Amino acid sequence: MNISLEEPGRSARDIDPCVLVIFGATGDLTSRKLTPAIYNLGREGQLPANFACVGFARREKTDDQFRSELKNDVASFSRVKPIDETFWNHFQNQIFYHQSEFDDDDGYERLAKRLAELDAKFGTRGNRIFYLSVQPKFFPLIVEKLHKHGLIYEAQNKEHWSRVIIEKPFGHDFSSAEELQKNISEYLDESQIYRIDHYLGKETVQNLLVFRFANSIFESLWDYKHVDHVQITVAEEIGIGTRGHFFEEEGLLRDIVQNHMMQLLSLVAMEPPVNLSADAIRDEKVKVLQSIRPFLAEDFKNSVVRGQYGPGFINGGPVVGYRQEQNVNPNSSIETYVALRLFIDNWRWAGVPFYLRGGKRLPKRGTEIAITFKNAPGILFQHRGELNLPNVIAMRIQPDEGIAMRINCKVPGPASPIQPVKMDFRYTSYFGGTPPEAYERLIWDCILGDNTLFARSDEVAKSWEFFTPLLEYWAKNPSIDFPNYTSGSWGPQAAEEMIAKDNRSWRIL
Amino acid sequence: MTAVVAQKLVEPDAIESELKAIWEKLAQENKTRACLFNLIVFNRYSPRTDYIRSIAQRVVEKFPCRLIFISEDPQAAQVAQTDSPYLKTAVSVLVPQNGESSVACDHIDIGVGGSDIERVPYLLLPHIIPDLPTTLLWTEDPTQPHPLFKPLSELANRLIFDSESADNLLEFAKIVLELKSKNTYDVADLNWARTEEWRDLLASLFRTAERKSNLEHLKSLEIVYNERATEYFCHLKIQSMYLLAWLSSRLGWTCEKASRTLQFSFTSANQQPVGAIIRTAVWQNLGPGTIISIRLETNGQDVYNCYRIKEEYHYVNIEISSHEKCDLPYQFLLGQTTTGHSLVQEICRKGTSQHYLEMFNTLMILDKDKLC
Repeated sequence: MNISLEEPGRSARDIDPCVLVIFGATGDLTSRKLTPAIYNLGREGQLPANFACVGFARREKTDDQFRSELKNDVASFSRVKPIDETFWNHFQNQIFYHQSEFDDDDGYERLAKRLAELDAKFGTRGNRIFYLSVQPKFFPLIVEKLHKHGLIYEAQNKEHWSRVIIEKPFGHDFSSAEELQKNISEYLDESQIYRIDHYLGKETVQNLLVFRFANSIFESLWDYKHVDHVQITVAEEIGIGTRGHFFEEEGLLRDIVQNHMMQLLSLVAMEPPVNLSADAIRDEKVKVLQSIRPFLAEDFKNSVVRGQYGPGFINGGPVVGYRQEQNVNPNSSIETYVALRLFIDNWRWAGVPFYLRGGKRLPKRGTEIAITFKNAPGILFQHRGELNLPNVIAMRIQPDEGIAMRINCKVPGPASPIQPVKMDFRYTSYFGGTPPEAYERLIWDCILGDNTLFARSDEVAKSWEFFTPLLEYWAKNPSIDFPNYTSGSWGPQAAEEMIAKDNRSWRIL
Repeated sequence: MTAVVAQKLVEPDAIESELKAIWEKLAQENKTRACLFNLIVFNRYSPRTDYIRSIAQRVVEKFPCRLIFISEDPQAAQVAQTDSPYLKTAVSVLVPQNGESSVACDHIDIGVGGSDIERVPYLLLPHIIPDLPTTLLWTEDPTQPHPLFKPLSELANRLIFDSESADNLLEFAKIVLELKSKNTYDVADLNWARTEEWRDLLASLFRTAERKSNLEHLKSLEIVYNERATEYFCHLKIQSMYLLAWLSSRLGWTCEKASRTLQFSFTSANQQPVGAIIRTAVWQNLGPGTIISIRLETNGQDVYNCYRIKEEYHYVNIEISSHEKCDLPYQFLLGQTTTGHSLVQEICRKGTSQHYLEMFNTLMILDKDKLC
């Protein structure tokens, strides 16, 4: 008899038991993001009943010390406050600490024993998630050790599963990304690798697909016939803070553009998937990346602008320039701003420019995708020979998540002037103020085994393939005018000039 | 918590203008007028009315909607032929007090007595916000004919009942199945929603193939519910009956006998006898009728014992044992079981639960002697 107690689509608790092992459990990401995410999932009853969490790190620590630190992290960084003491008192008994170096075989042997004990105690049935919240150089080592000590099962194993979550950066350029992929795929099937790009866990990013494919009115306009251009902006008012070492290695293109912005680009430009399965969606995203017109040598000058912030003012207060930041080379040629224009050479987007810009120390924080439509024929309603402003759909990813539409409207009265007005939908206005954090959704998806919101290896490779020639060009031709924008401005003058050549301008967020 | 702002008795034709006036004042407080759907609640004045209001307000806190709350005066209804009928309307704005939301919602209150009940649909129609779904929470017994049921249900995309209000569960099940088969709206039930966490628990407990095969060899089942009665709840067996009917429908059992002492005999899908019993206990701090524990035993002496922890009753302790071994117990968190949460879940979900409809088919056999 085929017994099913679950009702498909209705139960949120239809989820396998498992143990989550966090490598780098004493790090900043664990404190600020992972711990609050796990706590909130548990508090809202979203975790499996049979669940345990093990922190793996190098420092000596007892279970109780670790639990106490995590409790402080929850109190400080959870989106819901204050901490639910009743829940925490129960939940902390499912959290453990395991001390080991990442290269210590004995540490992995002890981990295997401990996980077996936890399986017996919590009924977690051998299912494992390994969250590698560590520097990328440790990924291959940890995966190899996990495999060596029998902690990674074959992907075809029907009885239990193991999955590995890795954090960006997935490589430093095309060849290093390939190398990383080669190293980890020796032990892991692609279906077991969950590459986190936390942008994909944001509710508003997920809504892009719903907005496009659950509303017929927009999708019919989503092409070269109707769209004049697309702007994607990821602006941050903060500088690089304490990440000087990291940023000197990476720069903004690797940190934000190659991953987050390309994910946004592929979601906004992709064709409808054949279904909502992870691979169907990711197949369409890859096609977008494959269709991006490669930069030619002249494009490096004409279609790309890099910048670095100098001293200036944020919110009226003085801030230092990038070269004066901690752990930064005083003569650094690392970019903190990138603007670029690219084209997607497929039927839908033929000739439509996509303008991308991202930067640190810009006037305000904001991530937005704006679709600017072509002007209505100017035969009617011209005012002194001037066209009306074009319609714009702006999807705000963060903060103040929502969707706004600019339309033209008649001002009341006999003179009939036309004025643009904004129709604004705000998520918080309708759905309350504390949407789940991206990490909550992504960890939950990993437990479910749904990798739709994780980057696939070919997505990563295609993105690196596109950007690597530019990175090589930059490496050979360091900028001579850095710093070239003032903190608190919207970036270098060259970025304004680049878009102005097309008779367009950057949007003000 | 939700605060009611500026409640004002108004003439029916001034409902929208008075709401607008309230909103103009609230604009200074940066409140956003929001509405995801229309929620019409119908109830008769009773000690349960405050409870129903509290549920509706919980919904508003989670999902902003235009709340139209209709209260019928049952005494005026009884003396309708001789007494003066009345229809009163009031407007206000509901402001969730969770400290974060800037959202607030329209609230239209309609009090009606006597023959003026027939005016209610005409009063209501201009105040349904178009292009948004409409949910009707019908808190009275749908087996009893009521002049408002048809006109209100015709406005709804989703109909929510509370079988707690039903005098006869058998008749209730029949009418729900009939309504569902003859209409396009979805149907939900608060008591069904109240058992959801236990259904989830059992589904998660019997998820593996090995455990599922144990389900095929069950020989006994015991459900314990909270018998603490209040003036709001009096049909306390229903949740337990739903859970039993659901499980037996999922497992393909055939009911052979049901006694007034709530003892049941089934034949399982593989023709084995299964005994089930529903017992009671009294827990003061737990909702009346709420399930406290469930115990299942197989022919092979595997025992699954799941019971709420008395001091922290959102937690269920799960003990699993066989004649060979005894697993370490673990706990299952029954989610946010605060009042109104179940209703909120039901409003947000699309469609009618197929398990619910199938459960009713079994329930009609279990309850043929009107046990509830």
